[in-house]
Amino acid sequence: MAVMTTVQALNDALGLMMAEDHRVFCLGEDIGKMGGDFGVTRGLYDEFGGERVRDTPLSESAIIGTAVGAAMVGMRPVAEIMFADFIGTCYDQMVNNAAKVHYMFDGQFRAPIVVRTACGGGFGGGPHHSQQVEGWFMNVPGLVIVAPSNPYDAKGLLISSIEDDNPILFLEHKALYRLKGEVPEGKYRVPLRQAKVVREGNDITLVSCMKTLHDCLAVAEELASEGISAEVIDLRTIRPWDHDTVLHSVRKTGRAVVVNEAPKIGGLAADVSAVISEEAFSSLKAPVMRVCGLDTPIPFSLPLEKLILPDKDKIKQAVLKVIKF
Amino acid sequence: MATIGISTEQHLNMYRDMWRVRKFELALEREFKRGKVPGMLHTGLGQEATLVAVAHSLRREDGIFPDHRCHGLLFLKGTPGAKIMAELFGKATGVCSGKGGSLHSADVTVNNFGDNAVEGSFMVTALGVGLGWKMQGKDSLVAVMVGDGTAGRGEWHESLNLASVWKLPILYCCVNNGYAISTPVAFSHATGDLVEFATAYKIPAVQVDGNDLLAAYQATQEAVAHIRAGKGPYFIEYKTWRWQGLFSGEFRPKEEVQYYMEEHEPISMAKAYLLKEGIVEEQQLEAIEKEVENEIESWVQFAMESPQPDPAKATANVYVGWEVESWQ
Ligand SMILES: Cc1ncc(C[n+]2csc(CCOP(=O)(O)OP(=O)(O)O)c2C)c(N)n1
Ligand SMILES: [Mg+2]
Repeated sequence: MAVMTTVQALNDALGLMMAEDHRVFCLGEDIGKMGGDFGVTRGLYDEFGGERVRDTPLSESAIIGTAVGAAMVGMRPVAEIMFADFIGTCYDQMVNNAAKVHYMFDGQFRAPIVVRTACGGGFGGGPHHSQQVEGWFMNVPGLVIVAPSNPYDAKGLLISSIEDDNPILFLEHKALYRLKGEVPEGKYRVPLRQAKVVREGNDITLVSCMKTLHDCLAVAEELASEGISAEVIDLRTIRPWDHDTVLHSVRKTGRAVVVNEAPKIGGLAADVSAVISEEAFSSLKAPVMRVCGLDTPIPFSLPLEKLILPDKDKIKQAVLKVIKF
Repeated sequence: MATIGISTEQHLNMYRDMWRVRKFELALEREFKRGKVPGMLHTGLGQEATLVAVAHSLRREDGIFPDHRCHGLLFLKGTPGAKIMAELFGKATGVCSGKGGSLHSADVTVNNFGDNAVEGSFMVTALGVGLGWKMQGKDSLVAVMVGDGTAGRGEWHESLNLASVWKLPILYCCVNNGYAISTPVAFSHATGDLVEFATAYKIPAVQVDGNDLLAAYQATQEAVAHIRAGKGPYFIEYKTWRWQGLFSGEFRPKEEVQYYMEEHEPISMAKAYLLKEGIVEEQQLEAIEKEVENEIESWVQFAMESPQPDPAKATANVYVGWEVESWQ
């Protein structure tokens, strides 16, 4: 199996899908000859031309609106929003258009679009290039949010997302772009709306996704040497997320910590912990805890940014608190 | 006698369609006041000539994005009027099963892509329809019905710019009725002549009297021919006037109201023209009015008698391929 970075795995998925299905096309800023700000579309322009790897101006509403309109007449657009933070400029198109087209016209139209975007902090990107935006979209019926944590899933999930008939926000964490992993050649799918148990354990369940998933795995490894057996779940699809896998695990371990880089209030972790409390209360030996970003914008200063984002220490402290409850 | 290549039959059809728009809206307004039509009411009263000019210039496979004053266009595009009326009543037999209503009525069978009640937002959705069809090699065009007020939206300008750059088959029908709710056009935009925006984006653009049916029709025909020839987008500013003032009442100057309701009223203008040119007899026009009355009332009757949507519809078609209940 080839070893690839997440960027290469995503690029591979796009190339495969464009070659296989003439309805698939990409649009976004500097995705053509330049290959995208992070190189995800590199080489596709040469292979498929500027019609299908379409550069746009800084017109984010038009990028998403174009994707939705094209999808309504049978195309399968993959839009790139360079940084997730910029999605505020096309929020209306995502929330009031893409996510509602199927419902409000009672099934007559579909909006099978994929909106890829680079998210996440930890590199000094500051307030407008670092955010996790899933919380902005948790309350949007009709929208699906997919968030891979490694190259294998990135490719398989992107293929599944392009094939899916729902509008999908596809989050690519910048800290994972250069992460390497084994990726099979050719086409394969990673199913949407299915979480994955990435490490088995019996004492506590850690639920996370994207970059913090790796922090959870590192903490689980450390805890193992201290005699605590942690199960780690990668949600992979974070809206709507896979209740069954999480509840099954929590019913076994009786404890849960939910970790998400986005701010705590009203976010993904809030929803996960609420569902655990509603559905698995009688299995719980301790309250569910959340480890999330603080209720602040992302500061530019690296030491300040470190203070507000979740990390291994904060996760470990939360786990120990739950274990000792 | 025929005018600018219009047969007598078409003259009569257009005249009839103006009445269909008028009587549809009047009936709707009446039922709204009786509490039979839920939600908010916007009507296209006073803008019939513009709507009919556009409708008669499009083919069935052409697309439309109708705005909140386009009830008439919804059925003129080909959807049975009873299904439109039922939709506005929120009934099961409506074109969107009662889930869209006045501000969100679409019909995939006639390429009506639906209103978006976030006014102006579909300016950018239209780019995708135009681009998609262009990539698929289709020769259809898509008409966007958009009010003067929406010229303040960023989407408006993103759309004009990219339609021009990408040479998309989009007909921008800017319905300039002078006001956005209460705000006069020239108060909020750098120019009261909205064509100037289009011209700045290098889109061919004209201004036309939207209450003059034949002038509006002719301008639309020229625009459509331009787009069908593969020359890219076209922009028409239809200068018109809506009867509906504010929900709370009339706010516009008396003389202005009188001018548009009496002297420059689109149906009586069309009628005067047809009679002056000797194209039809007065009795024929009266018969048309009566027939339309019956047709529209039958739609109202249908809407009234239709059942409410099945409760299962509340959670249907949120996602493609899976149910809302499955994870709640
Ligand atoms: C984005 C957005 N802002 C505000 C409104 C509320 N609103 C509804 S109609 C309207 C005025 C629209 O004016 P115009 O486009 O000129 O259309 P008209 O009603 O005059 O035909 C406003 C402000 C809205 N629906 N959407
Ligand atoms: Mg107006």
